[in-house]
Amino acid sequence: MEHQHIGTRNPRVDALDKVTGRAIYAADLNQPGMLHGSILRSTRPHARIRHIETSRARSLPGVKAVVTGMDAPDVRYTMHYIFDQRLLARNKVRYIGEPVAAVAAVDPAVAEEALELIEVDYEDLPAVFDPLEAMKPDAPVIHEDLARYPAKFAAVKYGNVCSYTQIHRGDVEEGLRRADLVVENTFTTARIHQAYIEPHACLANVDSSGRVTVWTTSQAPFKARNAVCQTLQLPMSKVRVIATEVGGGFGGKESLLDGIAALLSLHAGRPVKMVLSRWEEFVAGRPRQPTRITLRTGAKKDGTLTAVKAQYVYDSGAYADQSPGTTAYGATFAKGPYRVDNVHVDAYCVYTNNVISGACRGYGGPPQCWATESQMDIIADELGMDPFELRLINGVNEGDQLTTGQVCRNVSMKATLRAAAERAGWQEKRKANAPYRGIGLACHERGFGLFSSGVVIKLNEDGTYSLLSGAVEIGTGAKTVLSQIAAEELGVGVESISVIMADTDATPYDYGSVASRTTYTSGNAIRLAAADVRRQLFELAAGKLEVGPAELELRAGVVSVRLAPEQSVPVAALAGEAIRRWGGPIIGRGSYLAEGTPLEPGTVSGYPMGPFPGLVYNTQVAEVEVDPATGQVRVLKLYCAQDVGKAINQAGVEGQVYGGLAQGLGFAVMENLISQDGRVVNPTFLDYKIPTAVDVPQAEMILVEVPDDKGPYGAKGIGEALVGPTAPAIANAIFHATGARIRDLPITAERVLLALQTKGK
Amino acid sequence: MKRLIHLHVNGESREVAVSPDQLLVDVLRDDLALTGTKKGCGTGDCGACTVLLGGRPVPSCLVLAVDVSGQDVLTIEGLATNGVLHPLQQAFIDHWAIQCGFCTPGMILSAVALLGRNPCPSEEEVRQAIAGNLCRCTGYAQIVEAIMCVANAPCAAPRD
Repeated sequence: MEHQHIGTRNPRVDALDKVTGRAIYAADLNQPGMLHGSILRSTRPHARIRHIETSRARSLPGVKAVVTGMDAPDVRYTMHYIFDQRLLARNKVRYIGEPVAAVAAVDPAVAEEALELIEVDYEDLPAVFDPLEAMKPDAPVIHEDLARYPAKFAAVKYGNVCSYTQIHRGDVEEGLRRADLVVENTFTTARIHQAYIEPHACLANVDSSGRVTVWTTSQAPFKARNAVCQTLQLPMSKVRVIATEVGGGFGGKESLLDGIAALLSLHAGRPVKMVLSRWEEFVAGRPRQPTRITLRTGAKKDGTLTAVKAQYVYDSGAYADQSPGTTAYGATFAKGPYRVDNVHVDAYCVYTNNVISGACRGYGGPPQCWATESQMDIIADELGMDPFELRLINGVNEGDQLTTGQVCRNVSMKATLRAAAERAGWQEKRKANAPYRGIGLACHERGFGLFSSGVVIKLNEDGTYSLLSGAVEIGTGAKTVLSQIAAEELGVGVESISVIMADTDATPYDYGSVASRTTYTSGNAIRLAAADVRRQLFELAAGKLEVGPAELELRAGVVSVRLAPEQSVPVAALAGEAIRRWGGPIIGRGSYLAEGTPLEPGTVSGYPMGPFPGLVYNTQVAEVEVDPATGQVRVLKLYCAQDVGKAINQAGVEGQVYGGLAQGLGFAVMENLISQDGRVVNPTFLDYKIPTAVDVPQAEMILVEVPDDKGPYGAKGIGEALVGPTAPAIANAIFHATGARIRDLPITAERVLLALQTKGK
Repeated sequence: MKRLIHLHVNGESREVAVSPDQLLVDVLRDDLALTGTKKGCGTGDCGACTVLLGGRPVPSCLVLAVDVSGQDVLTIEGLATNGVLHPLQQAFIDHWAIQCGFCTPGMILSAVALLGRNPCPSEEEVRQAIAGNLCRCTGYAQIVEAIMCVANAPCAAPRD
């Protein structure tokens, strides 16, 4: 089938505003009478709040509102899994950085000054920062009421374990007994910040009827509305959330500020703007969990994997937030993209007195991939096999199953493996023995396309269209891709589609631009809505052209008879006709919720997720050079064979791939948000280094297109899949170069040097 | 105590009353409504607030407004002339060198400064020139491509 707008390199529809400085982000907004809000944060990792004295702050000239937890409704809320969190702390704080009070004042300086005048009387409690310590029976209890907290799933929770997920398949002990080789290793990963360049910001205004409007930098405005409604106990008809331009999200931008800003606006009776400082981002954002994964894997002499027994421990921080999900997500893929019949995973999501963890591009997947793919190379080495061959022998095929029993469809694991190895020149480079140079690879499997999306398409009187979508343009190019799909389906140019996004009152529900889902779910919703528009147009045109609706087609703004194209009527004329004589304006609606193949009964317990609608695969290859004197690793080149199903926009796919590789590189060799006794010690970009233009190596993308049977034009969701394999590919290359195995991220020069000194010992 | 300063911003003379501790980025954004200059860290580490001061790229979050009285300031809003985009702006569009767009104004201005002092840079020089502008979305590949494309246009032409 010939496509007009699919598979092109259509320019971004938002590019002009972004290169001229006209794109409006939340911090750019101003309103008459606007105040500036600021948050007082806990200085203690774990303490009882005896008293908060706000009178001095209140009497400071220019201060218009001061609020504490006692000014908000007495509710515990969640946007995700367990109802354990408050808008502002009440009675107790559980991490350094927790919001304790907030101020609205006439300018940011006065607000800051007011914060210093608030006195909090704390009674320190014993704190715990290491999840393994927190799991011990005598550890300080962080949430005394955990057992009574409601959860959105059948959570298994006890002590400081806020979610214990078990995945069980086959007979793991028998599988291990049958193995010729059993390998056990423990792998760890660091706390990673999303490090979007735009800090959180929002502007909240409560009008005289009590209706709240929040303009905010959010990937998921409907979740943000939900958070505001829960925390302020308002019906959804009283809260409107509008996402502005979003300066990067990567899972970290859903709703940190909106409820607090709305509460301040309610108290002050004026609009309140809040902008987080970079320091606040680092100490009180929602970084990726630090993790500790132990894998015990069995293999036959010929490389066949017989069993994987795994223990996952993810540091949730002070509240559950997304961590039960990320933990279970990682655990789901504990065997990697391989056929293993006997699997047992114990996955613990554990409270500590650290900053709250959240979702960060990959949702539990990057730590899982680090562990599984490092383990695969360790097994290959023990068996004297080529790591590529080991993966080829065990790699999943169409119809194989995940640990949960879910059947894998549209599988492209080996296609990406072969494509990456071939482009990288694997066979030759693997044999080459240049000193301290090496090549390594890693594969990844991920789910995508969860949750629902709605869109509405309105036909304008002149034959152009307005597309209303609840999804958000967070930088990925969603607005462009959705325009392309609508243009394709409606037979017009991309410029004839006006896209209105992310307004909870004006656009239909959308779960959010998260979880590699927008192209897939909103794309499918657009196809349904466009079909609805076409149906109405054909019904109307059939009467005019005196043929049946089934004989008509829509092309280039004209409805015509398929077998007699000269009999036609312009869409613009039909639009006018509809308004004047036929039932009113033409509006198409589309809602989409994909179903995955079901989980096998009895495989999971305490599992917070459902089946994945789709699965996507990629393979990365890294070439490295190691300096034996310093341990410094130079990544010379990265290759990424990414299955995208179908590239709706080629240039957009390239952007996702190169950007994902850079984040993978940061996870691998640079990034570590270090917390000592609950205090983040490197809360600046100077000390928390992310890759700059000189740090990223040359990267080559190999596009693999194994279509998804339900995706729009076969497209799959890829955003998160990219970050996982980079780190293990690099570590495996370091092992190839030096024989030194790194099990802890990030791969610093110090760790490599130590591994070089102790290897073989 | 506020002080009246004269700024030449984007070719226009602007008179602003500022306090001695007011930063250039805040004056541009709050007093002159030039919100194309972004604020990402406030400590000069991310480069989102880059503007050109007398043609040199500076993080405007580390510059006191009173210190640049009388100097030429170029922000992203002043880069296109008579509605025609600067070649770098056009190249960023053509190469999809933009994702979220938050680093884009500073990134483009750093590139403008580079090509001003070195019209035919190597890829390594381009990477060095934008090393102070953090981007979390793109991995820089398409940004470097866009800048190299503009740099190569005059360089590739025969010299006579």
